[in-house]
Amino acid sequence: MAHNRQVGVIGEALFAPKSIQQTSLEEALYAVTHAALRDAGLTIEDIDGIVVAGNDQMDGRAITIMMASGSVGGVTRDILSTPSGSEHAFVLGALRVRSGIYKTQLVVSWSGMETDNLSEVQRLSNDPYYHRSLPLDDLSSHALQANVLENEVPQLREAAIELARQLRINGFKAYPEHSAAPLEKVWIEGGKMLRYPITEGMVTPPSFAAVAMVLADQEWIQTHAGKKVAWVHGMGWATETAYLGDRNLSQLTSLEAAAGQAYKEAGLTQAQFDVAELADATPYQALVALEGLGLCGRKDWVTSVAKAQYGLNGQTSVNPSGGAMSFNPVFCSGLMRIAEAANQVRGTAGSHQKLNVEKTVGHGASGFAMQYNTVIVFGREPLESLK
Amino acid sequence: MTIPRIGIIGIGQSAFKARRQDSNYPELVREAVTLALNDCKMELDEIEAVVYSLAPDALLGITNAERLGVDAVGARNKRFMRINTGGSTGISAMAAGHSHIAAGACDVALVAGADKVGECGDSQTIMNKIWDPIYERPLPLGTINMLAMSAVRYMHKYGMTEEDMARIVVKNRLHASKNPNAHLRTPTTIEEVMASRMISWPIKLFDSCPQSSGGCAMVLASEKYIKDRGLDAVWITGVGHCAESYYIGDRMGNGYIADHADAQALAEACQRSYRMAGITDPTKEIDVAEMYSPFSNTEFHAIEAAGLAKLGESPRMLREGHFQLGGPTPVNPSGGVLCTNAIAVTAMVRVAEVALQVWGRAGEHQVKGARRGIASGNGGDHQFFGTMVVEA
Amino acid sequence: MELLTRTEKWNITYRHALGETASWFYTQIRDKQQIYGRRDSKSGRVLVPPRAFSDETLEPTNEWVPVGPEGTIECFTIVYEAFNNLPDPPYAFGYVLLKGADTAIGGYFKGVDLKDGATAAKQLAIGTKVITKFAENRVGDVSDFWFEIQA
Repeated sequence: MAHNRQVGVIGEALFAPKSIQQTSLEEALYAVTHAALRDAGLTIEDIDGIVVAGNDQMDGRAITIMMASGSVGGVTRDILSTPSGSEHAFVLGALRVRSGIYKTQLVVSWSGMETDNLSEVQRLSNDPYYHRSLPLDDLSSHALQANVLENEVPQLREAAIELARQLRINGFKAYPEHSAAPLEKVWIEGGKMLRYPITEGMVTPPSFAAVAMVLADQEWIQTHAGKKVAWVHGMGWATETAYLGDRNLSQLTSLEAAAGQAYKEAGLTQAQFDVAELADATPYQALVALEGLGLCGRKDWVTSVAKAQYGLNGQTSVNPSGGAMSFNPVFCSGLMRIAEAANQVRGTAGSHQKLNVEKTVGHGASGFAMQYNTVIVFGREPLESLK
Repeated sequence: MTIPRIGIIGIGQSAFKARRQDSNYPELVREAVTLALNDCKMELDEIEAVVYSLAPDALLGITNAERLGVDAVGARNKRFMRINTGGSTGISAMAAGHSHIAAGACDVALVAGADKVGECGDSQTIMNKIWDPIYERPLPLGTINMLAMSAVRYMHKYGMTEEDMARIVVKNRLHASKNPNAHLRTPTTIEEVMASRMISWPIKLFDSCPQSSGGCAMVLASEKYIKDRGLDAVWITGVGHCAESYYIGDRMGNGYIADHADAQALAEACQRSYRMAGITDPTKEIDVAEMYSPFSNTEFHAIEAAGLAKLGESPRMLREGHFQLGGPTPVNPSGGVLCTNAIAVTAMVRVAEVALQVWGRAGEHQVKGARRGIASGNGGDHQFFGTMVVEA
Repeated sequence: MELLTRTEKWNITYRHALGETASWFYTQIRDKQQIYGRRDSKSGRVLVPPRAFSDETLEPTNEWVPVGPEGTIECFTIVYEAFNNLPDPPYAFGYVLLKGADTAIGGYFKGVDLKDGATAAKQLAIGTKVITKFAENRVGDVSDFWFEIQA
């Protein structure tokens, strides 16, 4: 099951305005598209196809790709949409380039903030048969998952609080213009309880952002010199079942499956990365992700966090961007993790750039209690076996 | 660099009805999946990836409803993603499935979905919400009146009459009467269509698609997988998508790329599929067409976009019997979207029907000797177009 | 077999940012009863309603151009069916190419007898000249104006 041709990330941009009143959603997507094309050194004429991801109900538009299409160069082009998750837009974009039908793809996702009740919108994803009357939104689902994990892993709360503290510092260093402020342990621990056991300091309220990435195939990259590339070495994506009651919330078999697919493609027998950008809407998510990615099993969670080994100087730096715990554009934070992992390889991560990065992993999770999991492995060079 | 041809090895579609009280939404998806797997004698275990076909969630009343469909499609711990391009979702999902296999990510993929449009009390209210809230939401825009305006321009440009529109309904209802999966299967007459109540001038009740409930699923596989197991298959040899401006008002006036009367982006999408499939003259090389057309008038510009008639010529050619079963190039031998419209899967059903045709399995609505066909899907406000060439 | 159902109603409010371009457009309608378009810097087309960029060229628009109040009908329809949360039928609406514009803007057509569709359709035929009418109390919205056939 080898992939046919190599695909590389050659451009990326993030648009996170201070005030969402200033620009319409269409204008925001136009801005991020232009910025990503600029970063890639391309014009829209070089783009063969586009994949977007947005949530209709968050945007207040019953078919949100209709709104997005004009802004991202959809007119006269081939544009599809994956509302299941922003990470899926990356996957489909990469598959389209690998198929050989497209030389380039633009991938764009955003997180709409025009609704006055995001929790209500999220609750509408509950089935109307059995669960709609429950106060089950994203945060509640994360809380349920945290509750199950705390019950299973001794001293987990302590580690979660400490990890939240570390990641918030990362975020504030990486993106001071829009990250949540750092907080000491005592404030995270004693902060307002939002949904037991999640306190205010363990999460960040939703924000608006739009993110775009440009992908191209190997031949195209080789004939257009001077691109900063992150090569996709492996891709994996998988899902849990929907009903939380049908799942073992302390395990993520879909993440293991996705990581397995990605590592197999990348020829990796061990998870060895310079940087891991993983899903961290709560610190509990980050810990489960560390395990699912093969970076740290649960019996080592507490000690590894206490040792503070995930900083920029550590062997594997985890979420040097600060992750969703610092800046939380809910719907597109998955694609942002993938973008951050790619940027580290490309050398474009800015103030949180790690030195001498060869290989990274990006992980995005969407849906209640991390229902969907997507894993992308990036490398500095095209995959050895296919060179 | 050749694009591999991807095979369709299994097809399943519901017998579409207005309402399916006996089945909740995931059960309806499961029904289609079971039919498709039975069709190729395959187990769910063998599916490596799933592409889920689901258009506006609002019609189902569940945000991200695909999450509830995971078990219906057997996707636990498997590759899974959902596609939404409005009405063209079903064919876009097929294109995404095609990419999965052409990219070498897997050898077998399932594309599946269902809809229960008939259960949504207010589908035009929801359709009103597809328009932009900046300029057009206050207008009473809906899919019906938006395409009624296309009819008005087509009439002005080419002289189409209301009787011409009625003739499409008569043709498609006759076709649907031979298709056990179609929703509206009662044959009708020009007089009956003309006498049906006016909805949005010039579109009348009988010129409009129904609100259908049901599911559709297809199993795709790589050529190697098919050859290694000696499986029976038909082949996707062309795929193409193209989009127009969202703004209907930009499709008129001065200097437009596309006229709202026509379907220029659909024509371009067809050309992209034809190029990939090596087709240069569709009038000679296409035996059957399933062109997405939810209203009678839009079938004309769809036929022309497929290159089966010159612009404005299809009403005359229809009168001459060109596009009915038994004629030179039957269009919508299944009855088309005009007779069955379960939005989330309608465009997939177009591919399924072309596949059945070139496979020789279309039963009473079979186009004799069909070996190559084109399928299309429309989404948004006549904005997104997907096409696919399937051949024996 | 007793088959049950559950009823759900969606009730979500959105506050959509209009951005500077649309906001200015609406304030001109509200305060000056004047409609404006924006010129696409690459193709030269005057886009009405105005946008900050053209989706065709993906270039910014760069010039405000006053348009109307005269215009011609580019297309229309007459709605005879009642739909939930939409106006009581019959009503006519469509798209008008205002003088000076290159794209058409949507609006209601008022003052036409809509009882008989075929007759009304002739009155609203493509190419018919119309004039923009403004409401006395304007709020800065598409509902502030409509079109009537120019005698």
